[in-house]
Amino acid sequence: MIPDFDQQGAAETKQWVPEVSAPAILLENVSKSYGRIFALSNITLALNGGVTGVLGMNGAGKSTLFNLLMGKLKPSQGSIKLFGTDPWKNPAPYARVGFVPEHEKMYDWMTGYGFVSTFARLNGLTRDEASVEANRVLEFVGLTDVAYKKIGQYSKGMRQRAKIAHALVNDPELIILDEPLQGCDPLARTTIMNLIRELGRMGRTVLVSSHILQEIERITEQIVILHQGRLLALGNLHSIRERLDKIPHRISIQAENPKELAKDVIDIDEVYGVSFPDGKNISIQTHNLGAIHSQLPRIIVDNNHKVSTIDNPDDDLASILGYLTSGGGM
Amino acid sequence: MAAAITPQPVEYAAETPVTGKVRLEAAWGSTEGDEDFTTTASSAPKPDGQVFKPQYKQWNGQLNPRWMRNWAILRHHLLGIFKKGHRPWGMPIRLYLLVVFIASLTDVGLTLVSALIGDSGLHSIWGVSRDNLYGHVLGFFPRNMLYYPVIAALLVGGVISEDRQHGTSALYFSRPITRFDYVGMKFLSVALIQGLIILVSLSLYYFAEIAAMGRGWAWIIDTLPMFLATVFSAVLLIFTYTSIGLSLSSVSKGKFFPGIALLSIILGTKILAFIVSNLFDREILYLISPYDCLAHVGQAIIGTQPTYDQYSWTWSLASLVAMNALALYVLTTRVSSMEVTRE
Repeated sequence: MIPDFDQQGAAETKQWVPEVSAPAILLENVSKSYGRIFALSNITLALNGGVTGVLGMNGAGKSTLFNLLMGKLKPSQGSIKLFGTDPWKNPAPYARVGFVPEHEKMYDWMTGYGFVSTFARLNGLTRDEASVEANRVLEFVGLTDVAYKKIGQYSKGMRQRAKIAHALVNDPELIILDEPLQGCDPLARTTIMNLIRELGRMGRTVLVSSHILQEIERITEQIVILHQGRLLALGNLHSIRERLDKIPHRISIQAENPKELAKDVIDIDEVYGVSFPDGKNISIQTHNLGAIHSQLPRIIVDNNHKVSTIDNPDDDLASILGYLTSGGGM
Repeated sequence: MAAAITPQPVEYAAETPVTGKVRLEAAWGSTEGDEDFTTTASSAPKPDGQVFKPQYKQWNGQLNPRWMRNWAILRHHLLGIFKKGHRPWGMPIRLYLLVVFIASLTDVGLTLVSALIGDSGLHSIWGVSRDNLYGHVLGFFPRNMLYYPVIAALLVGGVISEDRQHGTSALYFSRPITRFDYVGMKFLSVALIQGLIILVSLSLYYFAEIAAMGRGWAWIIDTLPMFLATVFSAVLLIFTYTSIGLSLSSVSKGKFFPGIALLSIILGTKILAFIVSNLFDREILYLISPYDCLAHVGQAIIGTQPTYDQYSWTWSLASLVAMNALALYVLTTRVSSMEVTRE
């Protein structure tokens, strides 16, 4: 293999001045191929501020996207800019980036404090600064009590939080988290989700991938959907769903007498169709979810229907992924 | 929390169907012997952790320049030799380093002994001389058979290969650190640890002679060139062993292969050249032996009697340059492609 000498050694953080007007992440026509296989194909994307969830099935290209952003891969085509600078040719932008990798491996023989402060120093902090900042982020992620325990003794959730702490120690403006919730128990998941939401509230640009769609929904409504290396959708979760006009929304209602309820509901102009999946449920199809929801409570109350649940099964991420990738709900 | 359980009378008749309950009660003796009908339940387990409300405080400091980040990598590796919390070198490695350092100081001790005895005959054997300076760095047995190559093999073993194995290089590259800085600091830290043993013991040997024998400026001016030539030979030796060792570490995912491969290259080629030289009276093969080339160049610049006399020492120097170039090419290639290609 011929070495790639493109990467320059000019990683002078002080001299590096980011473009103020440039977004935190800018990908222009980025493709990455391994031989004939395209892991990412012609992605154009700009992100700045807030939490964005990256979604996709296995092999969709999420990890490739993150590896490209972190300079671990070189794009086959197109350009990647972090704060207006190509990170492959100059890793200086990483002074403003925090990365939480997916893999489990850490330095198990280090204490949490040692791990975070060591990587703080790799960002150019002095020993005293590294100590102060390590304590700051360990407190933020709730590891102060176990800061001097070895990472090898940490639980999975604590290890994830230690990784998040090490990524935050340089107070980055862009935080990239690759599957941060993987393998965590519910308590750890909630804690990490709270951390991510808090970072988003602070105005940081947070990019987070996960296979657990419901949890992405709990973290953010801003999503990027990848499928087979292509950018399938980008934007607000509900807006994306609204844009799928050709596919009717479904409202599932569990009622004591679904057929009587159907008689009343069918008169609404926006109702496209009604079906009965089983004896207790009625499924209403519509192109205008808001109109139905504005009239449904009045119909139920006026006609004295006994309803136990009302659900929009198509409005979650799993269904959207299903619609976008195969043309049908999951 | 304890709660009393009221016993229920159980009656069995011939027509009682055999159910699981009856079988179970029969197996456990039914109610016989269970007069104490109390049970103890443990208190509700405490929640293992807490969901807290994080409050992020931002940092308003200034990031320091490149050399401070590089220094952080260097000290992480160097301080691991001496204390915990840095790169763990392992107790056997640290012990071996100590043993070799003490063993390297034997000529210092012998110089002091000869000075104490005051026997000029002994001092001519043990004191500072061209041959002894050469021997301190480039002597084959025991220094280049048991000491320095083994140290290099132990040090280079996991320096890059463990990052490749565990993927922890991704953590380095997520910082504003170039690959050149990453590999440069790793190279320097391995070389400095070797330097601590070889160069420090060499310097102590030279200064022990000055202190114990009361050498004056004339002697120092007279011997300084050959001392500096020896220092240069030592630097060349450290550089060569480190570059070959790290190139092997960069193609591996474990500690074992780089260490064994380095020893095989240094000692194997030396033995091969020795056998060929003895059987066929041809010294040409020493050009593939890093040790023989180092020794030949060292003999030339220190000024001792050359033992490789069929070829000019410049051939050995050219061979050394080629070896180092090849090793550094492999190292550069592997570190450039580290994490970049799907492995």
